[in-house]
Amino acid sequence: MIRHKPKVVWIQAITCNGNTHSLLSSNYSRFELFLNSFDFFYHPSLTTQNSLEDVFSLKEIDFLLIEGAISSNKEFYSISNNDTLSLLEKLANKSKYIICVGSCASYGGVHAKFEENKQIKGVSDYLISWNLEKIKHPIINLTGCPVHPEWILQTLFSLKQRETIALDENKRPKEIYYGLAHHGCTRNEYFEWKVEAKSFGVKEGCLFYEQGCRAPMTHSNCNRILWNDVNSKTRAGMPCIGCTEFDFPRNNMLETKKNIGIPMDVPLGINKRAYLTLTGVAKTFKIDRLNKKLIE
Amino acid sequence: MKTVDIVERIEGEAKLVCSWKENKISDARIEFLNFRGFEYILQNKPILDSLVYTPRICGICGQAHLKATVEALENIYENVNEALVITNKAKLLREIGLNIEIIDSHIKWFYMFIMPDIAKLSNDIKYNKYEPLKGSLWLNASRVASETIKAIAIIGGQWPHTSYMIPGGVMSDPTLFDLTSMQNYLEQAIIFFENTLGGIDFEEYLAFSNMEDFLKTNGSLIDFKNIAFKNNLEKIGKAYDSHIVLGSSSLFESGKIKIKNISKIDSSKISESSINTFKVNISKKENEYTWSKTALYANEFYETGPLSRALISNRKFIKTIHKEYQDSVFTRVLARMDELAHLLYTTKKLISKVDTSEPSFIKPKYSLNDIETAIGSSFIEASRGSLSHKVEVSKGLIKTYDVITPTVWNLGPGIKDKYGVAQKAIVGLDSISKAEIVLRSFDICSVCTTH
Ligand code: SF4
Ligand code: SF4
Repeated sequence: MIRHKPKVVWIQAITCNGNTHSLLSSNYSRFELFLNSFDFFYHPSLTTQNSLEDVFSLKEIDFLLIEGAISSNKEFYSISNNDTLSLLEKLANKSKYIICVGSCASYGGVHAKFEENKQIKGVSDYLISWNLEKIKHPIINLTGCPVHPEWILQTLFSLKQRETIALDENKRPKEIYYGLAHHGCTRNEYFEWKVEAKSFGVKEGCLFYEQGCRAPMTHSNCNRILWNDVNSKTRAGMPCIGCTEFDFPRNNMLETKKNIGIPMDVPLGINKRAYLTLTGVAKTFKIDRLNKKLIE
Repeated sequence: MKTVDIVERIEGEAKLVCSWKENKISDARIEFLNFRGFEYILQNKPILDSLVYTPRICGICGQAHLKATVEALENIYENVNEALVITNKAKLLREIGLNIEIIDSHIKWFYMFIMPDIAKLSNDIKYNKYEPLKGSLWLNASRVASETIKAIAIIGGQWPHTSYMIPGGVMSDPTLFDLTSMQNYLEQAIIFFENTLGGIDFEEYLAFSNMEDFLKTNGSLIDFKNIAFKNNLEKIGKAYDSHIVLGSSSLFESGKIKIKNISKIDSSKISESSINTFKVNISKKENEYTWSKTALYANEFYETGPLSRALISNRKFIKTIHKEYQDSVFTRVLARMDELAHLLYTTKKLISKVDTSEPSFIKPKYSLNDIETAIGSSFIEASRGSLSHKVEVSKGLIKTYDVITPTVWNLGPGIKDKYGVAQKAIVGLDSISKAEIVLRSFDICSVCTTH
């Protein structure tokens, strides 16, 4: 069977390469299917057949995936003698789809905190005013630090099949980011009954009250499509740090900011008074099962 | 004559600038032109946020940075005479997590970063199995790497970039069945070692003491050896043959070797120089050519990494190989793969030692925010060698944060009339492809080098 394999080019800008390693940690049979269904033409740390020069001489790229933030400053950062902005310029014009892989490519992320380099931004911050010739779809942001590998694969496979996907106001695929990281956490029952985790390092209790869990305010599906097929941070016991939102990294990520003992930020879209009332009611019940060790 | 080569397919990118005299490399500069400023980013951030930031220094060795940060923060407690109690369980879960990351990194490094170049040295089609994205062994290695790393996700929630370690212990509380699954994932890597990488029974491999033993094997390691010897890789890539190991763990001992003598480390002798390093927002001087700094011990260059660890921890097989082939490309690569086997063995044992009835975390009596000013530091053995962190805190905020990565030891610029470690290993070679392989043998991570 001869199949058309769309060309995928992955470039690295200002990055820790975490998204690359996330991709390499994807479910293997999914990854293999990806390699069989797409022409993975170039990736700076993986491919040997083609060089960046070969990419420059391509007429057309189906999917341009960008890992890392962008800057026009060449003193701090250059890739094969290009600053990352001119690298992007050279490739964006040839691309039908542009996908920002990870929070850094989407809006600068951790790297934008390096204030001595004032120009570090996300891909769309730069591309917004450009007239891209071949582009067939608005730029897509796959936020996350790193991005979940399955989000990359689902996005690519869906676009290959359907050509267009619905995006939210932050240019993220709605299908991935419609829900909250909180949905599906094994600690949900504790959240409902306002039973806090007594400390770090326990299976019991919710991390929203003390440990800083941002999952009720964070769009992602980490607790539905599990990480490395097996787990999520909040299931394991680490609070969600909100790495898919545009304010990541925030300050004091491992503790809950409180006001007279009540979390300052309440779950997304919930009226603060409603939340307080419900908390008050829930706390009047002392539910034995939820205050005991899960495994005695 | 001067040549400039961009070295790709490493973690990030490096530029190798060589001067030539009579067809030999007479001078070599390894330029790292990417700087992300983590030490600047960390300034004035809330102290515990460093646990979220530092793993993001590097996508492949984030757990090493996490462990270095948590131990530097715990060292602050020690320095103000309030040492924390860390349960044995928490200590084990930290070491296990780091080991799994190193295992994953070693597998990927060999099959994705080294073997494609080694295989290219031979025209034999039997080595097509190492071709990136297509070759059967490349694919198999990537499968095993993604399987193995699941073991961290069980205790850390995900990989890359979890921050499950915190002063006082770890955040997770695995069940016995979780631990069994972790061992199962490692078992997959052991089977891979037996069937593919080593091509020999695991226990039998671990008992190896010399080359004759090794020649009995029938896996990728022998493929590597055969191509390596055809291309004299057992003769090139030699640097100072001085070694340093700053961290210690169940498998690694700290120490240094200079002219065959092992001795203890005095951490006050470690220094960092930036003579040939660019400075932030100051226009560059003529001699400055890289963002990497230089790391020295008592003003001398030392190599760090799996070879250094094998020698200082006295691992027999590698010691005999080293005796014969010194710090050559062949020895360096083999030492790293040998470490993989020992890590698999040790880590499985460590998992079986975890006592689930112990607490994972004991809350510190008071917060780091209550400490007026203090300093803490740590030394860790990461995938590529010794990693050190030093943090100074004041009134809840980070004042300064200093990171010396293993790659700074190995790949940093020389100073004055002395070459850096990798520079020394490259000067004198007669081809650029050899120079690149020598450079690769150090396991380059440009991301970490400049951070
Ligand atoms: S720990 Fe976080 S994700 Fe889990 S239930 Fe609580 S708030 Fe939701
Ligand atoms: S759980 Fe939260 S912090 Fe963790 S990956 Fe998902 S969105 Fe990011």
